[in-house]
Amino acid sequence: MTRFLARRIVQAIPLLFVISLLAFFLIHAAPGGPLAVYLSNPSVRPEDIERLRHALGLDRPLWSQYWSWLAAFVRGDWGYSFSDGRPVAARIAERLPATLELASAGVFFALVIAIPGGVIAAVRRGRAADHAITAAATAGISLPAFWFGLVLQILFAVALGWFPSSGRTTPGAGGFLDHLQHLVLPTLVLACVQAAGWSRYLRGSMIDALAQPTVITARARGVPEARVVMSHAFQNALGPFVAVVTIDAALLISGAVVTESVFAWPGLGSLFTEALARRDYAVLMTLLVLSSTAVIVLNVVADVAQALIDPRVTVE
Amino acid sequence: MIRTPSIVLVALVAAAIAAPLLAPQAPDAVDLAHRREPPSSSHWFGTDELGRDVAARILDGARISLAVGLLSASVAGLSGVAIGGIAGYAGGTVDAVLMRLTDAALAVPRLPLLMIAGAVLQPPVSVLVLLIGLAGWMETARVVRAEFMTLRARGFVESARAAGASHARLILAHLLPNAAPAIVVSMTLAVARGILLESALSFFGVGVRPPQASWGNMLYQAQSALLTEPWLALAPGIFIFVTTLSVNLAGDRMATRP
Amino acid sequence: MVSLISLGCAADHSGGNQPSNELLIVGYDREPDTLNRFSTHILEDIQTCVVEGLTTTDEKMNVIPLLAASVPTLENGGVVLRRDGGMDVTWKLRPNVAWHDGVPFTSADVKFTVDAINGPNYNPESTDGFDRISSVDTPDALTAVVHYKEIYAPYDIQFIRGALPKHVLEGRDIDRAQDYNRNPLGTGPYKVADWQAGEFIMLERVPHYWRGDEYPKIRRLLFRFVANTNTRINQLKAGEVHVVALMPWDKFREMQGVSSLVIHRTTGNAYEHVTLNERQIPAFADIRVRRALIHALDRELYVKTILDGLAAVAHGAIQPVSWAYTDQVARYPFDPAKARALLDDAGWKTGANGIRERYGKPLAFTLITQAGFAIRETIAQAIERQWRDVGVDAKVELHDGTAISSLWFEGRFDAMLHWWQMPSDPELTTFFAADRTPPAGRNINFFRDDDLTRLLYASDRTVDRAERTRLLHRAQAMLAEAVPEIPLYNVTRLDVVPASLQNFKGNPTNTGIFWNVHEWEIR
Repeated sequence: MTRFLARRIVQAIPLLFVISLLAFFLIHAAPGGPLAVYLSNPSVRPEDIERLRHALGLDRPLWSQYWSWLAAFVRGDWGYSFSDGRPVAARIAERLPATLELASAGVFFALVIAIPGGVIAAVRRGRAADHAITAAATAGISLPAFWFGLVLQILFAVALGWFPSSGRTTPGAGGFLDHLQHLVLPTLVLACVQAAGWSRYLRGSMIDALAQPTVITARARGVPEARVVMSHAFQNALGPFVAVVTIDAALLISGAVVTESVFAWPGLGSLFTEALARRDYAVLMTLLVLSSTAVIVLNVVADVAQALIDPRVTVE
Repeated sequence: MIRTPSIVLVALVAAAIAAPLLAPQAPDAVDLAHRREPPSSSHWFGTDELGRDVAARILDGARISLAVGLLSASVAGLSGVAIGGIAGYAGGTVDAVLMRLTDAALAVPRLPLLMIAGAVLQPPVSVLVLLIGLAGWMETARVVRAEFMTLRARGFVESARAAGASHARLILAHLLPNAAPAIVVSMTLAVARGILLESALSFFGVGVRPPQASWGNMLYQAQSALLTEPWLALAPGIFIFVTTLSVNLAGDRMATRP
Repeated sequence: MVSLISLGCAADHSGGNQPSNELLIVGYDREPDTLNRFSTHILEDIQTCVVEGLTTTDEKMNVIPLLAASVPTLENGGVVLRRDGGMDVTWKLRPNVAWHDGVPFTSADVKFTVDAINGPNYNPESTDGFDRISSVDTPDALTAVVHYKEIYAPYDIQFIRGALPKHVLEGRDIDRAQDYNRNPLGTGPYKVADWQAGEFIMLERVPHYWRGDEYPKIRRLLFRFVANTNTRINQLKAGEVHVVALMPWDKFREMQGVSSLVIHRTTGNAYEHVTLNERQIPAFADIRVRRALIHALDRELYVKTILDGLAAVAHGAIQPVSWAYTDQVARYPFDPAKARALLDDAGWKTGANGIRERYGKPLAFTLITQAGFAIRETIAQAIERQWRDVGVDAKVELHDGTAISSLWFEGRFDAMLHWWQMPSDPELTTFFAADRTPPAGRNINFFRDDDLTRLLYASDRTVDRAERTRLLHRAQAMLAEAVPEIPLYNVTRLDVVPASLQNFKGNPTNTGIFWNVHEWEIR
């Protein structure tokens, strides 16, 4: 196990290096830079731009800028945001709770929908329940998430007024209940989209698991159906399912960009959208590298977890 | 029921190809005196903010959205088959390296990276197809690798090599055809993902750009009129949904065929 | 379907708080990068409530005194021209004004501000004007004498952004002074109570504002950051925010019927136009081509249909709100026949595919504009069509905000649909003088007219209002004759406030609508 972990970590480092290199050069290939925002002000003159360019170190050659960035990054110095001059680490740290909150709520409810959905669809395969669940799940993965979010917003927040249309709290009046109310619509969007994919996946692996010899044997021995399904089949299907959920959940942290934008949710997704609009290189680089790291790490965790859950799977 | 998704898809593709003939007006015919009009006999889906016929734009947009979906899936499929095939066939270190590469590619968040690329490169549709395709080979690679490894495990490869088959002949004449159903399913799902990705990118204004119509950018432009002119968002949204749904259902049907 | 149902029961829904003198919620489109008025490159609405300048601009764009007792002019002796070509401006400060921490506001703060901005240790966004100041004398606590090296016409708005507090920032690295940049010390009616990153800034009234303890009337102001326009308008409808500044025109119809809200229209000090880059497209250097391009556009129709009649066609760079404005300039009505004749005359003959060409080269170029503004994208496409009708091939390309800025700054574009927020002082030199092409200025048409250039510099070099007006009127006439760019329409501001809000006056300049927030009241 330790050898496996060590090997995976060693393999991960060049991956992260390549990812950061690609991200850096891609971002710097963008027309315009962090100084472009100053240009729309009529009193900003070329001398001002030159002065600012030099102060931000943007007139150095690209390789030099990358090296400085990398050296600082691994030391934990993630630089200063070009938008407001505050440390990138601080900007990310203050947005992280909001994203974690939304992601966990989304994952939780997605599981609440997906697990029973996938299991029932597999057990009642070919029958009405399966058709209904599969149709709903397929619809879920076919729906453009932002359109879904907009429609929910119009219907439930503006027309019916049941929920607030956006934001995380009502400022000045942020109670627990108020907090929950704000969470409902964005969580609904995230949960529906995730649950659709997950229930399909679980259905597939449950069907495979139910066809295994151990299950057939158990049935032959007269084990009650419920136990067959949950103890035998589900246990076997659980391993790969956990792996998929873990990776998706990790991607959710950076990938809820669309939902956070529609609902003005102050998390990492909307930080990304703003940083992109302002070409805030420091923030963009850090976000990309961090989220990739998180996924790679969770990948390893998922493999280990799978090995622990299912003794038949060995780590190579 | 089984055939419905395929019929819908064929109809859509045919309509898209025949768009210039079918459309009552040109999709870029600006008519400022008749902006944002509700559906009527002369404009089945109403008109947009420039007085252009929405139905004509849906047809024109179908070409782009379907093309992006199909072509990007082809790119994804080809690269996925190449990488997954080599990994599954060669095994050993080659497999390990390629699979780590696949993991790395899956680790990078797709939509944010495409958004950055879209904003940076401001790509024409051809490059957009390439980018979306290159963001989607991983699933196909995994599937193909799994198929090839299964076939290898069954001793198929060994016996064929023993009988004197060359690598190329083995792969092209035997392994690929056997893996074909799984590949087709995977590519079908990639078409759906491609269509959704393009519409999401257009939502952020980094996908297909106006005045060229695409379902995604029609939705982007309809955002501001959701309450006052809902048909502007309904039509493209429904078409994206129906098309993606048909593609996914068709893929499912293919997957469950024995 | 869903959307039709919601259309049916869309009411003005006050699901949130009602606006009151306790709390007024503003839906703001972005989070400020810093509240330091000299460092920010974004609009200064929030900052205006906290930090005050010596002068400000009111709703008619008049410069009025704020922390200064009066505006110095040549007539009242506040401005003295020196024999060496420089000038001295004497600012008399309002007595009994104190910073929020009780320390008196004095001329030492004014001097400190100038020294800090001109000093090497601080990187403000712009040092425009400040770098023409040679020194500041402070004969007493309420008098600051600013010595300029040369005659600087917009001296009266030199200190419009306020002053930096000497006792807080002296000797410090101002760029890194996060305590000040996040919570600036000011003299205004409000101070920062809370700044939740990514969500809101809460301002609350100060107990003793210098105008009197009864001001400001509204106890707390909350600025919520909502970047997505649709979301912001939805919040306005749902009553979750009460005030939205600069509402997009295409939302006007939707918001008109809401009885609890009032939409204020202010003629803005900005105009939308099509820039024609003569350096990149030589065809634009021919005045006949430029006149043809403007005759080909039905600007009245755009204003009537796309803009719902909410703006007026513009005929030049200086807007009606400015004291320097004149409407005695050449007009170019919609006349496609004339456009075609002019193009024929200039040697551009219609080719086989309907596009004009000359010596085998087509009259084709790209028209770029900023993405994310529905109205602008619509106008660009309408322009493209009308130009195509006269045989001009313009391809519309959308770029995002930061890309656009660097493209025009470097002059790397053909034609651009663009708008300038004009400075409240009607200086045109940076936009049209022949030697002010980028990077030296904003003459992004790369237009060259030596007579005009001389005229513009002359108008900058005098502080005599009558003389300046005469020169600027002449400049506007010359510009209308030459049409280096195509003015489209004046950018009318639409600000949405509660119907119960009294004393809202709007403001066409960058100062923003909060310039008189101290007298706002909910009744």
